[in-house]
Amino acid sequence: MTATVAAADARSIRRIAFSQRVSHWDFKLSPYLYISPFFIIFGVVGLFPLLYTAWVSVHEWHLIGGQGDFVGLDNFAFVLGQSQFWIALRNTFSIFLFSAVPQVVVALVIAAVLDQNLRGKTFWRMGVLLPYIVAPVAVVLIFSNMFGDQYGLVNNALGSIGIDPIGWHSDVIPSHLAIATMVNFRWTGYTALILLAGMQAIPRDYYEAATIDGAGKVRQFFSITVPQLRPTLIFVIVTSTIGGLQIFDEPRLYDQFGQGGADNQWMTITIYLYNLGWGQLDFGRAAAVAWLLFLIIVLIGLINLAITRRIAGSGDAAKVSRRARKEVTK
Amino acid sequence: MRTSRTIAAVAGVASLALVATGCAGGSGDSGSADGDVTLTVATFNEFGYTDELLQKYMDENPGVTITHNRAATSNDARDNFFTKLGAGSGLSDVEAVEVDWFAEMMQYSDRLADLSDPELDGRWVDFKTAAATDADGRLVAYGTDIGPEAVCYRSDLFAEAGLPTDRAEVAALLEGDWDTYFDAGRDYTEATGKPWFDSAGATYQGLVNQIEYAYEEEDGTIIATENPDVEAAYEATVEASADLSAGLGQWSDDWLAGLANGAFATMLCPGWMLGVISGNAPEVDGWDVANVFPGGGGNWGGSYLTVPAQGENVEEATKLAAWLTAPEQQLAAFESAGTFPSQTETYTDEVLTGATDEYFNDAPIGEIFIERSEAIEVSPYKSVKYFPINDAMQRALTRVDVEGQDPETSWNQWVSDVEALG
Amino acid sequence: MTATLETRPEESAAGSSPAERSQNRRSGRNTNGRPGWIAYAILSVVILGSVFPLYWSFLIGSGDASTITRADLPWWPGGNFLANAATVIGNETVNFWRALGNSILVSTVVAAAVVLFSTLSGFAFAKLRFRGRNGLLIFVIATMAVPTQLGVVPLFIAMSQLQLAGSVWAVILPALASAFGVFWMTQYLSGALPYELIEAARVDGASMIRTFWHIALPAARPAAAMLGLFIFIQTWTNFFWPFIVLDPQSPTLPVALSLLQSNFFVDYSVVMAGVMLSTIPLLILFAVAGRHLVSGIMQGAVKG
Repeated sequence: MTATVAAADARSIRRIAFSQRVSHWDFKLSPYLYISPFFIIFGVVGLFPLLYTAWVSVHEWHLIGGQGDFVGLDNFAFVLGQSQFWIALRNTFSIFLFSAVPQVVVALVIAAVLDQNLRGKTFWRMGVLLPYIVAPVAVVLIFSNMFGDQYGLVNNALGSIGIDPIGWHSDVIPSHLAIATMVNFRWTGYTALILLAGMQAIPRDYYEAATIDGAGKVRQFFSITVPQLRPTLIFVIVTSTIGGLQIFDEPRLYDQFGQGGADNQWMTITIYLYNLGWGQLDFGRAAAVAWLLFLIIVLIGLINLAITRRIAGSGDAAKVSRRARKEVTK
Repeated sequence: MRTSRTIAAVAGVASLALVATGCAGGSGDSGSADGDVTLTVATFNEFGYTDELLQKYMDENPGVTITHNRAATSNDARDNFFTKLGAGSGLSDVEAVEVDWFAEMMQYSDRLADLSDPELDGRWVDFKTAAATDADGRLVAYGTDIGPEAVCYRSDLFAEAGLPTDRAEVAALLEGDWDTYFDAGRDYTEATGKPWFDSAGATYQGLVNQIEYAYEEEDGTIIATENPDVEAAYEATVEASADLSAGLGQWSDDWLAGLANGAFATMLCPGWMLGVISGNAPEVDGWDVANVFPGGGGNWGGSYLTVPAQGENVEEATKLAAWLTAPEQQLAAFESAGTFPSQTETYTDEVLTGATDEYFNDAPIGEIFIERSEAIEVSPYKSVKYFPINDAMQRALTRVDVEGQDPETSWNQWVSDVEALG
Repeated sequence: MTATLETRPEESAAGSSPAERSQNRRSGRNTNGRPGWIAYAILSVVILGSVFPLYWSFLIGSGDASTITRADLPWWPGGNFLANAATVIGNETVNFWRALGNSILVSTVVAAAVVLFSTLSGFAFAKLRFRGRNGLLIFVIATMAVPTQLGVVPLFIAMSQLQLAGSVWAVILPALASAFGVFWMTQYLSGALPYELIEAARVDGASMIRTFWHIALPAARPAAAMLGLFIFIQTWTNFFWPFIVLDPQSPTLPVALSLLQSNFFVDYSVVMAGVMLSTIPLLILFAVAGRHLVSGIMQGAVKG
C-alpha cells in the first residue's frame, strides 16, 4: 500500500509540475504574442518607409528620376548649411513654445474642471472636442478672415480701440502667434480629454483622505492629481512635443501659397521638407531634413521627459499620496 | 458584460458597412476580356469634359469604357502626379498637366509616351506645341486650353478718374508697352489716390512671360540672376508698384475682397479669370474687358493631356487624348466650362467668335481673346528650374510690395535663393 | 494578502440618490456633491469658443455664394442650408453616399482594430515583464518622431507591391500600426491597473488571456473609448493619403468633398454645407461614445 500511495503522490506531483510549466510558458510568451499584431503590421507599413527614407537620404535622389549616386552625408551637410533650415528651426521652436506650453496648462485646468460631478457631463466633455472635428478648410477660412492683414476682424477690433494694425502675415512673431492660436484652438480640447481620462483613474479616496486632513482643492491638485497623473502627463508632453515640432497643416494653410511666407516668416521644418521634396523635387535632401528633424525631436523629447519627471515625480508629492493610500487601507 | 457588448456593436457596424460598400463595386479594374479596354482620364479644376462628351467617344469606339477621375485643384493634381511618377505606378491612362508644373518634369519626358503625329501638325498655336516638345523633338503632350491675356478694368472707377470707359477707347489708351500702361496708371492714381493694379507679382508675371529666355538657356545653364532682361523687369515692376500697387497677393482673401470693393482699377486677365471675377464680385457691375495687353500679348496658364509611359493602354489612350483635344471637342468644352481653346481651327468657328459675357458688359470675349492669342509673339522657354526660380521671384516681389522690404535687399535674397537651388 | 479597493461612488448623471448624498456628507463634500458656478462659467466660455467655428460653417452653408465675401457677417442663418446640402449630395462628381459608406467602414475598422491592438500591446508593455520591453517601447515612441510626409512614396510602393493600391485596405492597413495608440494604452494602464488585481487573478489560476480579457480590458475601458474616438476622428478627417491611394471612383468623404472646391471660382456656401454634412456623423458618434467616457469605474474589486 505504501507503494501505491507513493506512486499516487509521485503522479500528482508530476501533474502539478506540468500545469505549472504551461502557465510558465504562458507567462513568458504572452507578452511577445500581445505586441506582435502591432509589430507585424508596423514592419510592413512603418519600418519599410523608415528604412527607405534613410536609404534615400544618403543618395542624390530626384523624385521622378529616382536613385542617383551615393553621396554619403552630403545632403545633410548641404541642408545644415542653408539659412532656410535654421530659420525654419527657429520658427518651429517658436510656434511650438507658443502652442504647447499654454495648451498643456489650459488643458490641465479644463480637465480638472471636467473631472467633477457636473450636470450634463457628456455635453461638456464632448463639447470641448468640437474644434478637433471641424474640417481644416473651415478652420482656415475662419482664422484667415480673423487674421487678415488688411481686412481682418482682429485688426478691425484693434483699430477700434486705437491700436495700429498688426502684420499678421508679414511679421514673424505675430504670424507665430496667429498660427499657435490656430493650433491651440484645434488641440486643447483633445489634450484636455486625454488628461481627463488619466484623472478619472485616480481613486477618489485619496481626495477624501486629503480633505479630511484639511487640504484645500488647490493643494490637492498639486499634491495628488499631478503626481498621480504622471504617466499621462508624460504621454501628453511627449506626444505634444513630437506633434508640435512637426506642425504642418496650420502653417501650410495660413496663406494662399502654402510655403511659409514670402520671407519664410512661418516656415516650419516640415514645410521646408515638403518644399524640398515636392517643390524642388529633391527627394534626397528632403529625406535628410526628415532624419535631422527626427534627431531633434528625440533630443527635445528626452529633455521634456526629464523635466516632466521632476515636476510630477518624486519628493513631497509622493509622500503625501503614499500617506493618503495608507489612510485608505486602514 | 458591457465591454463585450460594445465590441459586438462595433463589429456589427463594421460588417454592415463592409457589406454595403466594400462588396458593391470594389476598386476599378479594367475588364480586359476579349479586347475591351477601360481608360482612366485624370483632370483637375474644370476641363469641360462632361459625361455626355465622354459617352460620345464610347459610342464611337465600342469596347472602350472611360472613367473620369478629378482632382479639386491643380496643386492636388500636381502632388498626385509627382508621387505616382516617383512610385512608378498608379497614374491614369490620360493625365492632365498644367503648363506651370509641366516644365519641371520635362527632363524626364521619357516617362511620357511620344505623342508625335504628323497628321496633327498645325492643330495648335505655335507656342503651345513648343512648350510640349522635349529636347529630342518628341511631342509629349496635346494642348487643351490656353490663357491669352487682356486687361480687365473697372469702368466705373475709370469714370471717376476722368478716363475713358468705352472698351475700344480704353484699348487705345493702353496700347503700347509697359510704360504706357504704367503712365496711364499714374494718371489714375493722381486723380483718385487709389491703386491701379492688384500686385507687383501679377504685373511681373505679365512682363516675364514676354522674355524668351528668362531664367535658363536651352543647354541648362541658369542665367536668371545675370539676365539683364529679368533685372529690368524686376526694376520696372518694383518702381511702378511703389505708387500703383494695391499690395494684394493674388488668391489671398484680401485680394478676393479687393475684386469686389474696388481696391484696384485694372488687372491682367486671362480668359479663365473672368469667372473668378464674376464669381467673387457678383454685385459689382463695373467690370469690363478691353482688347489690349501691354507689350502686345501674353499667356497665363493652360493645360495639356499626357499619356504616361507606365500605363497599360498607351495606344488607346493616345487615340483618346487626340480626340479630346480636337477642335470640335475643345469647342464643346469651351461651351461648358469657358476654357479657351488652343486649337487654331476653332478661331474661325462661330461658337468662339460669337461668344459674349454678360457680366462684363456683354463684351465679345471670343473675339477679344482670339486677337490677344494671335498677338502672342514669344513662347517663353520654361525648363526644370523655371518654377522654383519664378516662385522665389514672386516671394521677393511680395516682400517688397506687401511687406515693405527694400527692393535691393529683396533682390539679393532672391539671388542667394536661386544659388541654393543648385 | 487581501486586495481591497473601494470603488468610486458612481457618478450619476441623473442626480444623487439619498444613499449617495449621505455618503457624500460623510466624506465631507458639498451636500449635493456638485461643483459650484465657477466650473460652469469656465466651461461655458470654453464651449462657446469651441462651438463657434461649427456655427460659423453652418452660417456660411446656409447662405449663398456671396455670403462669405461680405464684411458684415449675418448672425442668423439664411434659409439655404437644405438646398445647399442637396446640391452636395446630388453632385455627380462627389459620389456622396459611396464616400460616406467608405468613410464609415474605414474609420470603424481602423478604430476598433487600433483599440484592440493597442490595448493588447499596452497591457504587455505596462504590466508584463519581458526581455527587451523598455527598448521596444522606446523604439515605438521614437517612430512617431519621423515626419510622415515623405512616407507617402515608399508606402505607395508597398501598397502597389501588395496589390492593394486603390482598395480601402490600402487606407486601413497603414493606419493600424498606431504607435500613438500603443503609447497611450501603455501609459494609461500603468497608472490605472494596479498590480494587485493582476496578481490576484493569477493566484486564482487565470491564464494570461483571461487576465487580459476580464481584468485589463474593463480597466482600460475609458481610455479605450477615448482612443477609439480619437482614432475614428483622425481617420475620418484624413485627406492626403486616401487622396493619393484610393481609386477616385471610391473615395472617402474628405476627398470627395474636396471636389466641391474645384474650378477657379469656389462656391463656399456649398463647400460649408459639405463640411457640415461630413461633421454630422461625428456628432452622432460623440453622443454615443460620450457616455462611455463618463464613468471611471474599475469593475470587480477582487477580494479574498
